[in-house]
Amino acid sequence: MYAYILRRLLMLIPVLFGVSVVIFFTLRIIPGDVAATILGTDATPEALAQLRKDFGLDLPIYEQYLQWMGGVMTGDFGESMRTGKEILPDISSRFAITFELTMLSAFISWIIAIPLGIIAGIKRNSKTDFGVRVVSLLGVSIPNFALATVLILVLALFFSYSPPVGYVGFFEDPITNLQILFLPALVLGTSMAGAVTRMTRSSILEILRLDFIRTIRAKGAKERVVIFQHALRNAMIPILTIIGMQIGVLLGGTVIIEQIFSLPGLGQLVLTGINQRDFTVVQGSVLFIAFVFVMINLIVDILYSYLDPRITYK
Amino acid sequence: MIKKGFKLTFIFALLASVLIACSGNKETSGDGKDTGGDNKQVEQVLKIANDQEPAGLDPHKTPAHSSVRIYSQVYSGLVRFDEKMEVVGDLATDWEQPDDKTYIFNLREGVKFHNGREMTAEDVKYSFERIKAEETASHIASYFANVESIEVLGDYQVKFNLGTPDATFLTNLTNSSAAVVAKEVVEENGDLQQVAVGTGPFKFKEWVPDNKVVLEKNEDYYEEGLPKLDEVVYYTMKDEAARMSAIRTGEVDLTTVNPKSASLLKKEKNIDVKDYQSLEYSYVGFNVEKEPLNNQKVRQALSLATNRKAIADVVWNGDAVVSGPVAPSMGDWAIDVTKHELYSNDIEKAKKLLDEAGYPDGFDITITTASTYPDMVDTAQILQQQWKEIGVNAEIKQIEWGEYIDTWLYTSADVLVGRNGSGTDPDRALQYFFHSKGSANVWGFSDAEYDKLVESGETMLDKGKRKEIYNEAQEKLIDQSPNLFLVSPMKYVAVRDSVQGFTPYPHNGEYILEVSKK
Repeated sequence: MYAYILRRLLMLIPVLFGVSVVIFFTLRIIPGDVAATILGTDATPEALAQLRKDFGLDLPIYEQYLQWMGGVMTGDFGESMRTGKEILPDISSRFAITFELTMLSAFISWIIAIPLGIIAGIKRNSKTDFGVRVVSLLGVSIPNFALATVLILVLALFFSYSPPVGYVGFFEDPITNLQILFLPALVLGTSMAGAVTRMTRSSILEILRLDFIRTIRAKGAKERVVIFQHALRNAMIPILTIIGMQIGVLLGGTVIIEQIFSLPGLGQLVLTGINQRDFTVVQGSVLFIAFVFVMINLIVDILYSYLDPRITYK
Repeated sequence: MIKKGFKLTFIFALLASVLIACSGNKETSGDGKDTGGDNKQVEQVLKIANDQEPAGLDPHKTPAHSSVRIYSQVYSGLVRFDEKMEVVGDLATDWEQPDDKTYIFNLREGVKFHNGREMTAEDVKYSFERIKAEETASHIASYFANVESIEVLGDYQVKFNLGTPDATFLTNLTNSSAAVVAKEVVEENGDLQQVAVGTGPFKFKEWVPDNKVVLEKNEDYYEEGLPKLDEVVYYTMKDEAARMSAIRTGEVDLTTVNPKSASLLKKEKNIDVKDYQSLEYSYVGFNVEKEPLNNQKVRQALSLATNRKAIADVVWNGDAVVSGPVAPSMGDWAIDVTKHELYSNDIEKAKKLLDEAGYPDGFDITITTASTYPDMVDTAQILQQQWKEIGVNAEIKQIEWGEYIDTWLYTSADVLVGRNGSGTDPDRALQYFFHSKGSANVWGFSDAEYDKLVESGETMLDKGKRKEIYNEAQEKLIDQSPNLFLVSPMKYVAVRDSVQGFTPYPHNGEYILEVSKK
């Protein structure tokens, strides 16, 4: 097991290297650079040249890459071209927000999806099942930015409510923090729930048809025991896969939702970085996101073996 | 085990819903506490929704509006505009002009930087030398290129020596970016992007990225009794719907809104929507070095085929005025373009011109615009329909902002729809944007006579004669049509009725010095 984890961690090196090359060169292929976006119509050739020199954009491209990578290897992600701020502390403080949002959304998604999925699975083809299927299909198909905008407008217009402005950390003021995060988490949670419900339902259905369930039932076990102790546990593997992927995606920054709800998360950092062509910020963040994505996948893989002891890693 | 987990989950869910249900009834808000009683004093905190994250706070280096609106409260310059757009003293009490090329400013005594040090003539000299220094890469360096040297005549007296007589000098000094900064702060921090120490009415307190910037009252501000507010907070809220809902529920006190939201908010009883004519205009830029747009007749035909009134009505809800190269809010400086022949939307004449130019059946063209700004996209779509009438088939290409800037800078589009700020002096709108050597003349437009005209406008100190020169220049420009000047929109600021004393001006949409809350 440990050897497996170690091997997976070692695989991070080529993955991150690949990501770094792709992101670095893609950024330099797309038109526009930070100097031009800063100056806009005030750009004079002299000012442009000076800024490009300041940011090291006048160096040959391979030299820029080596300089950047050299820094990254020693834990120095550099400074934002736009604001001159160090990148790493910024990434970590924003990641904390995105992480909290992701976890809340996942939590909301589970408390909706797993019970609904189970009920639909057990009562297959009943009215309840049909209802759940329609609702979950809606969850999957309504884009979350649309849901978010409608939610904001409806709450403001009919209930005179809007979430507090200005983000506050959980440890500063937990109540306000949860009030700020509740709506975005609800939006993300419901759209995640759609997919998880559908997966739970089909997975439960499949398991309930298997021989071992019949054996357990034949032994006279209560239905509750059959479902929760045996069927659900075995049905969890595909569910976990999909949840792992969803969390991975969300941790990479829930760009639109963060923007709509004015949350200073990782997604906003990347988006602002791209719009302003703040290369160092985008490079640093993307590298970080890739790292998180790989780690989440690793955790999911480890959880598999916990859920199903037949799965072992050597 | 899973059963236990399920129970736990259920309890959590219950707890969460109770928590949220409770909080729904409470009058809480980010920082502003509810004042509750009637006799308590209202907290003098103004909460503003900022539609973009500030791009840094260095006044000499950052032209972005999201930054300017903040640092213009922290810094002061030598002079400023009053409400009638006349130049009046700010850090300078008065000034004299011994000759056409020399300005001597007498400074206000006892003005303190927010770090407690007194501001003197040395700081003025340092600030303008910093703006002019190549390594600063200041966006306003070109405004002061004509300043040859700056002399300190005493603690409170400073002299500017210009290379040539310069009619734009004083108005350029009113620019928020022409701020007086403290040398020691620049030296300590490298630049002023993260810190702000000025002499203005508000002191910089903190900046939480993608969240908020907080300014607090400068108790030592040199104007007695001002500012009235204790604190100003700029919350970064990029989503229009979120800004709308926050102003509706009173989570913020002030926000800029687009015309469509403005008409919705006008119906709300606690919200006052203020409007003012902006200094901006929308335009169509042509690459005049490429066929068929290198032909003046083609450009004129497109101008004739363009119905500017329809653009004002559809894109700006009717709240925009037809504009020439100098926006109408510049008052006397702008010529009345409404009666200009090329603004007559005469389709027959347009067709005739196209015919004369050798394109009797029209041609195909691509209109490029920025997807970031809905008004630009809408404008492009209307142009597409209008130009069809004369056989010009346009395809619209929407690109994101970074790419758009690049396209503008290197003129890699044939037709570009955009918006320009025409500045506070006609010299910017006419020379900077259209002189053959103007930095913002990316269109390849070059006309020796026009160049001479705007050069003479810059050095002409007699206002009446200067106006004549610029009238002629504007006529010439419209006739040549390197750009089609479309409409100048209104801008809207929505304020809660608890905000007193707020009036936006074209040159300063956020004048909050005398604002208070009730």
